[in-house]
Amino acid sequence: MELNGGSVVAMIGKDCVAIASDLRLGNQSVGVASNFEKVFPVNDKLYYGIPGLASDVYTLREHLRFRVNMYRMKEEREITPKTFTHLVSSTLYEKRFGPFFVEPVVAGIPSPTPLDPHPRPFISTMDTIGCITTPKDFAVAGTAADKLYGVAEGLWEPDLEPEDLFETISQTLLNAVDRDALSGWGVVVHLITADKVVTRTLRARMD
Amino acid sequence: MECSFGITGKDYVLIAADTSAGRSIVRMKSDENKIKTLGPHLAMAYGGEPGDTNNFAEYIERNLRLYHIRNHFPLLPPSASAWIRRTLAESIRSRKPYAVNLLLGGYDTTTDLPHLYWIDYLGTKAIVPYAAHGMGVYVSLSTMDKWWYEGMDKREGIEVLKKCVDEVEKRLTVALKFNCILIDKNGIHKIDLSEQDPIAKVEASPEETAVEAPNPPIEVGA
Amino acid sequence: MNSVLSQLQPPAPHLGLDQEEDEFTSSDPSAWGSMGGFGNLARNGGVQGMSIPRVNDPTAFLDLHTDNMSSNPEAKIKIAHGTTTLAFRFQGGIIVAVDSRATAGSYIASGTVKKVIEINKFLLGTMAGGAADCQYWETYLGMQCRLYELRNKERISVAAASKILSNIVYQYKGMGLSMGTMVCGWDKTGPCIFYVDDDGQRLKGDLFSVGSGSTFAYGVLDQGYRWDLTDEEAQELGRRSIVAAGHRDAYSGNTSNVFHVRENGWEFIGNYDVNELWYEYEVKKKAAREAAAPAASPMAVEA
Repeated sequence: MELNGGSVVAMIGKDCVAIASDLRLGNQSVGVASNFEKVFPVNDKLYYGIPGLASDVYTLREHLRFRVNMYRMKEEREITPKTFTHLVSSTLYEKRFGPFFVEPVVAGIPSPTPLDPHPRPFISTMDTIGCITTPKDFAVAGTAADKLYGVAEGLWEPDLEPEDLFETISQTLLNAVDRDALSGWGVVVHLITADKVVTRTLRARMD
Repeated sequence: MECSFGITGKDYVLIAADTSAGRSIVRMKSDENKIKTLGPHLAMAYGGEPGDTNNFAEYIERNLRLYHIRNHFPLLPPSASAWIRRTLAESIRSRKPYAVNLLLGGYDTTTDLPHLYWIDYLGTKAIVPYAAHGMGVYVSLSTMDKWWYEGMDKREGIEVLKKCVDEVEKRLTVALKFNCILIDKNGIHKIDLSEQDPIAKVEASPEETAVEAPNPPIEVGA
Repeated sequence: MNSVLSQLQPPAPHLGLDQEEDEFTSSDPSAWGSMGGFGNLARNGGVQGMSIPRVNDPTAFLDLHTDNMSSNPEAKIKIAHGTTTLAFRFQGGIIVAVDSRATAGSYIASGTVKKVIEINKFLLGTMAGGAADCQYWETYLGMQCRLYELRNKERISVAAASKILSNIVYQYKGMGLSMGTMVCGWDKTGPCIFYVDDDGQRLKGDLFSVGSGSTFAYGVLDQGYRWDLTDEEAQELGRRSIVAAGHRDAYSGNTSNVFHVRENGWEFIGNYDVNELWYEYEVKKKAAREAAAPAASPMAVEA
């Protein structure tokens, strides 16, 4: 984790979720690339972020893309955030004795179904071997996790509207990575609402 | 004390690697070529654990050649980078991992874009406009940060590379010589950094400076 | 070499376990008068022996519990470090430029550290390594320099000042002091820079950079350095080099302090936000490029 650095945060708002990551890829103290996104789409209502060892970020991403595609073809429907969380979790636990060094964060809005016509926005996070936590407010992971907790505890409040949620998650991540030597070098935020996803790259500190 | 550089420009990639090889404190060879040609428009500079380096480079080279033979078309740089990265990522969790770091450079003839990838022995891949491995990371990355521009022509690229090599000579306690290639739409060319204007030679006689591909190009059936 | 030596030698005997009670119980009652409260500074201005952990091998003890001796980076006590500092001599004097970040592990403990220590009107010391070590000993050096001035009725030379410092740190060699410092100033011989580090090494030179980001600073400094730089060019080179290091090195950054040493003493040029400068340089780079060649193709991105 401390080898490449990087952080991800996700937050719940009113009928929306947001997930953001920094863009640094480092080799210990040396910054190597400032275009390394750690948040990937599953579909247009579900994103996940994987901070940690960059090699495993790629490997796990390839792995999950394969499994989600297989799911999509077999089930002929999109995977829900909850199911996807369990998919990630079991993928991680498969490597229980030689884990992927990543801490995934999932954020999405489930599609309405006859059984659940008004689903709530969903976020979840896991440890390296797949233990799931489903917070009702925000989830943090990566080298700036402890700093993110601090800022998020202070800034987050329930039922934020999309634009307010965007401001909250942006300020949270920007200010947290400014206190972390191994995260930063740019920030990208994805704001997911029922009808669209807005992605913005923020002007962050580059030192 | 290994060192390699990669720089992309408007329509080319430059790759340079030092030429020393040895064991512990002894330099046993000072003209070792540590750049492998992987195809007509693809090459990599590699370094790391002696033994692993050559074995891995040859493994990659032969597999890419096999792909070329099977498909009558070489693997393009983005796909090649993905496959090489995956090979290293699988290797790192094996019983005997390859300890090889590399800079992969290529020219995509389908889109006319240069590509450069920074890949390390863990299977970490970064897509970058310029990069370094080994000691060059510490002494020359900031030099590139300052002097590299987007869309540089070939001569400007060589100038930046020369600055990096100059910095290595200034700040490292060991003397290093550098081997350099340029990949553009015409293929791979040898660059002599000691010359005043090495690009002139490439332009004047492209055949003479061409670097041999691992095997002669395959004729696709008419 | 130092590590080989320390392996061969028996553990350092603990100095005066019995005498070394704390200040309150052992000191002379008269010291509670006007001479009280000077800690381990003696009346004559010397340092009266630093207190040392009460264990058999103090060096090994520090090694185990602090991270600055590098053999145990996971140690609980993290001493603030990670730095870029530089100083160079040129036609117009000396430029001293430093960053302002202090890190404890990966945590950025502060972004507003003063890493240039103003020893006196003509002498500057830079700070890399243990912040406390540098601060304490360079302040102490300031005291010694003032005493020298009073005793000899002339200012101390940079060479002599740096030697006082190097002699002190050499005394404590192997005990975990961590400092890489440049003593910069103007004396009878003109502008002068000495590099002094915790090994006891002392080097005179024209251009130095110290700290985790020093190699990155060198990368810009070396390629832009000339003796006949103008004052403005030199200050800009110092600033640009710190920005380069702040950009690449995770443990350097935040702001940059720039000083200029001339014949009549040093002058503080300014405090600059590394991040803002970085964006400024990017804009300038782009503008210069567009002025030269109008159309540039975008860099390749993976599909």
